Amino acid sequence: MPGFRARTAAATLGVAAALVLTLRGQAPDARPFFQIADIGLPAVEEGGAVWNESHVPWTSQARARRAAAVELVRAGVSGRSYATGKVIVRFRDEVAAEERRSIVRQASSTGEIATRRPYADFDVVRINPGEDAEAVAAGLNLRPQVLYAQAAYRVHATFVPNDPQYADLQWNLRLVNMEKAWDIQPQAGSSITVAVIDTGVAYRNATFSVNLRSFTHSGIRYPALGVQTIPYAAAPQLVGGSGSGRVVSPYDVISSGGNAPFDFDGHGTHVSGTIGQLTNDGIAVAGIAFNVKLMPVKVLGSFWDVIFGTAPSDGGSDDDVATGIRYAADNGAKIINMSLGSTGPPDCATNSNKFGCSPVVESAMKYAVGKGAFIVVAGGNEFEDNDPQFGANPTSVLAEIASRINGAVSVAAVDPSKNRAYYSSTGKYIEIAAPGGTSRGFGRNGFVFQQTFDFNFTDTFDPTVVPPSQYRAPRFDLLGTIGVTGTSMAAPHVAGIAAMLMQQGITDPAAIEEALEKSAVPLSLTGGDSCPPGTSAVAPRTCSFGFGLVDARNALRGLGLAR
Amino acid sequence: MLLVGLALAAPAAAQDAPALSIRPFVLGAGQSFAAVDTFDAVFGRSYDVFFGGGVQVVVQDRFYFEGTASRFTQKGQRAFRSGGQNFRLGIPLTATIIPFEVTAGYRFHLSPRLRPYIAAGVGTYGYKETSEFSDPAENVDVRHVGFVANGGAEFRLHRWLGLGADVQYTHVPGILGVSGVSQQAGENDLGGVAARLKLIVGR
Repeated sequence: MPGFRARTAAATLGVAAALVLTLRGQAPDARPFFQIADIGLPAVEEGGAVWNESHVPWTSQARARRAAAVELVRAGVSGRSYATGKVIVRFRDEVAAEERRSIVRQASSTGEIATRRPYADFDVVRINPGEDAEAVAAGLNLRPQVLYAQAAYRVHATFVPNDPQYADLQWNLRLVNMEKAWDIQPQAGSSITVAVIDTGVAYRNATFSVNLRSFTHSGIRYPALGVQTIPYAAAPQLVGGSGSGRVVSPYDVISSGGNAPFDFDGHGTHVSGTIGQLTNDGIAVAGIAFNVKLMPVKVLGSFWDVIFGTAPSDGGSDDDVATGIRYAADNGAKIINMSLGSTGPPDCATNSNKFGCSPVVESAMKYAVGKGAFIVVAGGNEFEDNDPQFGANPTSVLAEIASRINGAVSVAAVDPSKNRAYYSSTGKYIEIAAPGGTSRGFGRNGFVFQQTFDFNFTDTFDPTVVPPSQYRAPRFDLLGTIGVTGTSMAAPHVAGIAAMLMQQGITDPAAIEEALEKSAVPLSLTGGDSCPPGTSAVAPRTCSFGFGLVDARNALRGLGLAR
Repeated sequence: MLLVGLALAAPAAAQDAPALSIRPFVLGAGQSFAAVDTFDAVFGRSYDVFFGGGVQVVVQDRFYFEGTASRFTQKGQRAFRSGGQNFRLGIPLTATIIPFEVTAGYRFHLSPRLRPYIAAGVGTYGYKETSEFSDPAENVDVRHVGFVANGGAEFRLHRWLGLGADVQYTHVPGILGVSGVSQQAGENDLGGVAARLKLIVGR
């Protein structure tokens, strides 16, 4: 009946309009980011290969990106930057709550102990952002009731990108003898869970409704775009096809589990690809331990996280990293990859409570190793850095911690010629090397390629990627085989091989470290070893490569009686 | 001088034995390897069996020279050793030891049927090791000189048949300890201690 149909159509339209208005209304000033999870179109996989020098260490573009990062940090006396407004404290277990509050108040008149987050064995004390967090920490460290106190030092992703087919582009996998390793272990880590402690991972589809306000970046004022619908797609080469169901226990540390660990940067997704991108599926490129389970643990925010309101700042801080490590260990991760870090003093080994050191991360790493997890840490991209506080080639604090823990390793980067990558930090804390790639001298063939977001569609805030006049909302549903470089790319090679080694039968983290180091291939030092002044490595280690280039086949093959 | 004295004081039973006797034998031995941790890592145990045979040349029923050949072969897995723990990697490995030993010894005349003896000598010990997924150059095929000493007794079952039981010690350097699990374990002796049984044919 036409009248009924007309009334029905009108009513339907009215309801739909109300719903639309309601949804938009729920993305107001009070709540700029609204997530409709698990509803989204599948990714658009682009062909070809893309490499992006805007992320290459120490290019002018990379320096501009770092300078434009949202600053909620301050450089402390230590020289390390820390997040303002909080101090990390570990009280002795027997100290009662009331006494803890009293001690905090004596150190800072504004100090308040925040509700302890899941998986943390430490407290975060909120203080006035204007206070000197290192000074507050120093006061707390004087108290016998305090095991350690530190500022929340900043950490950042150590990464640089690039693309396509395995035979054409993946020199890195051949360099570590993966083909023969896959012969030994075709199942490639199928029973092992690898935690990716990073910017998150593109592991599920979603659609976001976001109120994009105006902001300033790189000195450019970008206009408000209003409420935008932003598509987000899971990386098909991680979770599509045979990869469905491989993601376990995903967790966003920044929101204490309130949000899903979506990657709005691309770094964590790329790292995950090196560890376990689907392989032998006739698509794109390969991953090392392509049957492992992946555990995304988001501890680093990105530019878009700040704009969306899902993280307070670009990068992360020690408390997030420590909580993420503990979460991973408590939830069954047997390999933990940390492609992140920051620079600091070189002598944390002798004084872990010194300004600039990270006892909270060190404690978490030891905890995780104690629970049977093997940890891989990127060695740092600061070889060409000249830090005003720490000098040239400053120590990568988290990598240095790893070098002192049996069951954790620090990883330097090499280029296709097995030379140290120009950016790769050196020091006696470097334990092993893996392909990290380079933008110098090899063209596209120097990059490490995996599937991740096409930066041309995500980094619309970056004037080197998209001219400001063409600024538009990002979209996270276009993925390609992207080339990047960095020790961030080197570390997941070791993580993937370690996962296979654990699957092969070496289940103890310290034994895995020993096996990887003993099976590594020593590399020649063109022009000598590049140790920081006044330091040297003990043979057979070198400051540039540690024990040498990781070799997957040697590691998996083990030893006979006589050879 | 002692040996001369013993030779002159031949007991009555020895007057029936020929001046020179050539006696073949077969043997089986259970050996406990000196490289305990190395063998345990790869095979799951540090003892195993050898089978072989040889020939004795006995002079005046007292002095003898003996040549022995035997063989041990076993399958295990390539492994890694760390912190006193063994981790086996599921990659098949086969090890073979082939000793050729020459000893000289003396037989005591304790009774007509029982002949205790002691001997010492040298051997050349071949060792082969092959593994799945190995390049040819990664397999092992070497031979090295070692030293051997044994002592036991022979019981005469019959005029023409005897059963010998002894304990033999071998020391074989130069094969283990340079690389592999043996280097991790700090063990460089492919020898060990074996309990042997010999079935000897002859007078």
